[in-house]
Amino acid sequence: MMVPVRCFTCGTVIGEHWEEFKARAASKEGDEDPAAVLDDLGLDRHCCRRMFVSHQDLVDVVSPYQ
Amino acid sequence: MATDFDVEFIEDTEREARFLVRGITPAFANGIRRAILADVPTLSIDTVRFVENSSVLFDEVLALRMGLVPLTTPEGEFDEDDTVTLAIDVEGPATAYSGDLVSPDPQVEPADENIPLIELKDGQRLEAEAEAKLGRGRDHAKFQGGVAVGYRHLQHVEVGDDASEYGEDEAQIVRGVIEDGDELVATSEFGHDLTNRYPGKEVTVEDVPNAFVFHVESDGSMPVDELVLRAVDTLSTRADELREKVSL
Repeated sequence: MMVPVRCFTCGTVIGEHWEEFKARAASKEGDEDPAAVLDDLGLDRHCCRRMFVSHQDLVDVVSPYQ
Repeated sequence: MATDFDVEFIEDTEREARFLVRGITPAFANGIRRAILADVPTLSIDTVRFVENSSVLFDEVLALRMGLVPLTTPEGEFDEDDTVTLAIDVEGPATAYSGDLVSPDPQVEPADENIPLIELKDGQRLEAEAEAKLGRGRDHAKFQGGVAVGYRHLQHVEVGDDASEYGEDEAQIVRGVIEDGDELVATSEFGHDLTNRYPGKEVTVEDVPNAFVFHVESDGSMPVDELVLRAVDTLSTRADELREKVSL
């Protein structure tokens, strides 16, 4: 659904970086290396990195079935 | 215990700090770590009154998302029962961000403005009043002021003789902060590998007793140095309380 506000494990606020990450590395237009983008955003622990790498926005999928 | 601690900053920014404390016992170091995580009161949204929520998320899920947004917490301005009421009103098609939370008090603002709360489609609307209250990390993770708080022993490096010429060419990995004479060096400066810093030398690494390097990050509700000071304050208040309770 929506990206989590904080990292499940350590509690760092990660939500604010999602849209930049999505635009740069997790969409058709963004073809940068996800690892480099995560480094750039300052997410250097693997607990925070997996939050983004494994996230899928589902609002568009769910919204027709309101 | 009336001893003074020797504190030295290695790295200090608004959200992240690394500092060395000497003359501290492991138990006390852990006490400080736990106090930073669980005992520093911070403001967080706790009760939300929804006027309208036609988004794809349920009220309670949205309320949790709002609660997790860090709010700046000025020191000494709020008591345990005080509340601050923030308002949000966003109409789709748009994304509601944490920055859309409107606060009546300029001292209490969302620390990060770009956290997406919910994506609203055409015709969907979110209108709510959110009440923030003071709470502690031990009650809910949303009240945690410090994130990823930890400490390591300070490592003392002793440089010995030249390494044997035909010895194994292995990396010698150390993480944290090393002490080389009087100089403190973060291991990230030489790629965490001692063979980079002392090529061709035998080096021995030892923990320095009772010297700990803390690494503290703040979620933005307050600067790191303030967070640590407030944590130490809560420790001494609790110690005073205990002394009062057990004295005859």
